[in-house]
Amino acid sequence: MSSPCCGFLAQYTHHHLVAFLLTFFSYVLLHASRKTFSNVKVSISAQWTPSVQNASSPAFSPGETWEKNNLFADSDEATLFLGVLDTIFLFSYAVGLYMSGVIGDRMNLRYVLSFGLCGSAIVEFVFGTLTEWLQFYNIYLYCGLWVLNGLLQSAVWPCVVAVMGNWFGKSGRGFVFGLWSACASVGNILGAFLASSVLKYGYEYAFLVTSVLQFAGGVVVFFGLLTSPKEVGLCLESETSLSPVERDADSHRPLMSDEEDEEEEGSEEVCDGGYYTIQQGDEEPRETPKAIGFCQAFCLPGVLPYSLAYACLKLVNYSFFFWLPFYLSRNFGWKEAQADRLSVWYDVGGIIGGTIQGLISDCMGKRAPVLAVSLLLAMGALVGYSHSPPDQVVNAALLATTGFFIGGPSNMISSAISADLGRQEALRGSQEALATVTGIVDGTGSIGAAAGQYLVSLIESKLGWMCVFYFFIVMVR
Amino acid sequence: MTAGHGQQNAAVVLLFIHVCFSGGYQLTELQVGLCHLCNGTVQNGTAVSQFCSASTGLIDGRCCLLRKENIRDADYVIGLDLSNCSLSRVEDLQDAFSATTIDLSLNPIVNLDDSLFEGFIQLANLILPANLVCPGGNASWDKVKVKGETHFCEGQKDICNQTGYLSLNCPENSLCVPYGPGFFQCSCVDAFRGYKCLREGEFPIIQVFGPLAGSTVLVSILLWVTQRRKAISV
Repeated sequence: MSSPCCGFLAQYTHHHLVAFLLTFFSYVLLHASRKTFSNVKVSISAQWTPSVQNASSPAFSPGETWEKNNLFADSDEATLFLGVLDTIFLFSYAVGLYMSGVIGDRMNLRYVLSFGLCGSAIVEFVFGTLTEWLQFYNIYLYCGLWVLNGLLQSAVWPCVVAVMGNWFGKSGRGFVFGLWSACASVGNILGAFLASSVLKYGYEYAFLVTSVLQFAGGVVVFFGLLTSPKEVGLCLESETSLSPVERDADSHRPLMSDEEDEEEEGSEEVCDGGYYTIQQGDEEPRETPKAIGFCQAFCLPGVLPYSLAYACLKLVNYSFFFWLPFYLSRNFGWKEAQADRLSVWYDVGGIIGGTIQGLISDCMGKRAPVLAVSLLLAMGALVGYSHSPPDQVVNAALLATTGFFIGGPSNMISSAISADLGRQEALRGSQEALATVTGIVDGTGSIGAAAGQYLVSLIESKLGWMCVFYFFIVMVR
Repeated sequence: MTAGHGQQNAAVVLLFIHVCFSGGYQLTELQVGLCHLCNGTVQNGTAVSQFCSASTGLIDGRCCLLRKENIRDADYVIGLDLSNCSLSRVEDLQDAFSATTIDLSLNPIVNLDDSLFEGFIQLANLILPANLVCPGGNASWDKVKVKGETHFCEGQKDICNQTGYLSLNCPENSLCVPYGPGFFQCSCVDAFRGYKCLREGEFPIIQVFGPLAGSTVLVSILLWVTQRRKAISV
């Protein structure tokens, strides 16, 4: 699909703009609150452990200020537990994604979206702020809350994708979706800035601010979102046919940054297929899916390798996302707030990388060379980064480069999968099958990333950060 | 003598048990306990009595109290004279933490608990039986002398200023503050507070959440009016 020009944009009403902005900012807020957790890891770890002292010196007095909290004996154990929390979150997020597709279909998207946003905000508030105000620290409480958080957050992505699909159909997809897919990175940046500004008052305030913001977002979405043009009587009738090839061509732009595409297909019944009038009146009934079985989908050529490759990349990407500020402040001794601001550069690199590499591969028409080159360079970037000197400017530059080379392929693979797999004979014309396959690949990616988080913290506590980087390099291969 | 000891110790133990189970007592009552730990009152001519008259304090049993203006405030112990009390063990002198002069001489005390004088920041004169050492070692006191059966520890040194000690590094955002002979505390600097002095300043809740709530309401109303009001229920 060619890029839109001015005349094309004229078909969009202010309703489109509002829908775009609301969905964009919903996901931004979600990612911001996830980022908050990563960014305050150092403070949380300090809060949970007593002061470190040489064996010979007596403990500091007064005990209330220095020795009271003994949730973990030392910071290594705390780090391990933080990794466990990340893993738990990703696992429940992956599980929730599988379920949310079903739920989003059956219920009003607006309710599900606001419920997910507000519910997740409340859970985060309890996790970070309430436990600190009540001075109540408990491992099982943290784990349980974080599982709940993962499940609630997983409701958001399919809904926002579905709403975007409803409003922007097929023709505008390239440009609009490209712009929209920056929401995750924008969310990371916002989260990093918020956390670093508020951190000095105490990490509980970082959680407070982001969860209140997210809750406000949920309220605004509830009152302002129109889930599809049908609700106001509009309809996009310009659509071309719903063949998979069409979808490939524009779905290989950097659509979705890192999550599941499941609901994308499911939403196209509305208006895209017309009001059961225009084009293919036979396409819309989802009740008779020509779905292929799970095992069949899994055995398709290309699914398995793609899943594994995607899992590894996602692992690295998420590891950077979750652990970067922690690493920066531990290794270089920088203040946590500074480390947070620096970690923003990784996301900036990711945005630029995703966009540019998407453009390059669009022009070339092929993805493989771009991916291969990018991954090779990514390994080089990782090596370079692991030897980075403790200078903030150099570090920022290296971070951006690494983000460029890792975030880019990650975006591309996630969107390219739908395209490539969709070209396969077995799937032609079967939307549900494609959704299943995409779901498998994305789900595997998330699980791989989840498992990796625990490994990262394990490796770090035992062997130090250099080994973490070697691990990444192996994965990127 | 032994029977007297036994009675004395039993009395001390009973007293402390009593004190433990009746935590709601005001300080004055506890002071009563410590001040009447043994019979008699502050003897004339002792260090404590001289100090007491010099500071116009009130003698109550074995204590020298500084009466506060406000009658409801607890009395302030500035001197404690437990000499010649036949004490073999000294359990807890915390009620006299503000004392400047303490006299424990002429008691058959075997040894002193290390933490006995923790928190005694005003203590400038400590008189002990000769067999005991000054708490915190001789380096914690300006002047240490032994005269006959008594050991005089005078002038508590500020441990935070000493260079001889293994460097007393307080963690970030905190300063060393003396806390008794040979003791110190790390207390948070300035605006820092909380666990490990990690938190700085007071979070401006109103300034942040006021505008946020206001704008949420505004935006919601605005959007509802422009978007959802026209919604047909699907």
